[in-house]
Amino acid sequence: MTHFRLESSRLLEVELRNERVMTRAGAMVAYDGQIKFEKSILGGEGLFGALKRRVGGEGFDLMTTSGTGRVYIAQNAAEILLVPLQNEKIFIESSSLLAFDDGMRSNTVFAGLRGASSGQGLFTTTVEGTGNVAAISDGTAILLEVTPSEPLFVDPDAFIGFKGNIRQEFVFDVNWKTMIGQSSGESYQLKFTGQGLVYIQPSERR
Amino acid sequence: MILNHQTLPANGNINPYAFCIDVTGEMLIRKGKMIAYYGSLRFEALGAGPFEVLVNEVLNSPLQARNFVVVTGRGKLILGDRGHNLASYDLEDGSLTIRSENVLGFQPSLACHESIIPGYLTLLGTGSFVASSNGPVHFLEPPVKVDEDALLGWADMPAPSYRYDYNYVRGALRTVGALVKGWGTGEEKQLDFSGNGTVLIQASERGVQR
Repeated sequence: MTHFRLESSRLLEVELRNERVMTRAGAMVAYDGQIKFEKSILGGEGLFGALKRRVGGEGFDLMTTSGTGRVYIAQNAAEILLVPLQNEKIFIESSSLLAFDDGMRSNTVFAGLRGASSGQGLFTTTVEGTGNVAAISDGTAILLEVTPSEPLFVDPDAFIGFKGNIRQEFVFDVNWKTMIGQSSGESYQLKFTGQGLVYIQPSERR
Repeated sequence: MILNHQTLPANGNINPYAFCIDVTGEMLIRKGKMIAYYGSLRFEALGAGPFEVLVNEVLNSPLQARNFVVVTGRGKLILGDRGHNLASYDLEDGSLTIRSENVLGFQPSLACHESIIPGYLTLLGTGSFVASSNGPVHFLEPPVKVDEDALLGWADMPAPSYRYDYNYVRGALRTVGALVKGWGTGEEKQLDFSGNGTVLIQASERGVQR
């Protein structure tokens, strides 16, 4: 398991000891030591995974960062959220994914209708295994608990990811007023039921 | 820190960029600023059906009615605005004029009127509202001159007037330069506040943008 540490809330330090991490291409801001950056054409998901990503509109470029030394990673001075996983699976918006341990498996899964309307692609990214995942958040991320008795509703534009035994639904709050152009602006929501944790950012992607 | 319906603050900040409202009755919020909620809440567009009364009495501005929605029901509602700083303010039989795009929500006990300055709203009465600012809000006492882009609003005082620095545009050529954008320092035009009251500014010149 590679060593992830937040140098500040907006700068991630990764210490590599002859190890590899996957990072968003172009997110390196500084490094020290013997580090190699390679564009990962297949994104660590094999040919089929890469194809799925392209077709599914979950397009983001990954690079493999390997070697021995320290790497500093940041993106547009956005705040960084560290999620340590213990043999777990996190569902995450590809636009929020910053870095993860190379030992973990990433995949692209069908996310349902949600992406079609929010413009974030029909698919979402999953990262599975044991290790660290770093996500970017526009403003300090908020961690919200979902329990069977307390479902949670989230604006798709503020959604970062979730983990746990959660069911994600896409709900329309559409009535006749939406049809005549008087929409409430909150007509599309994500509903989370089950048991787990949802990560959101206090900002709406544009 | 993991939060849930019970541990979320009731009408308080979760962090500087997110605000949680404990909705028990009706609340007006700006369209699209809801980021998450627990409980059973409904979002209804203004100006239709049972909320026509609200538009008439609370939101006395057809222009703004399109930007706000009514939240009804019970639950905890989280607001966010482009990662800007959020805070709640209480008015007690007061009058506060604020840049309309910075008003994220207010109680219907406040009356909302369109200000004579375009792009600003005037809130009158007693109640609380949530507003955003790019960086924390600073309060100034008049007399003061403020850059238009840094101005958030003003409370309990007369509307400001524009003030131009003509001192430095003495020559004919420079006068043309001052009128044509791009010449000069960009600080020739200010808002001049006088009288008693409070001026609210943000430490940023991020102007109106959508």
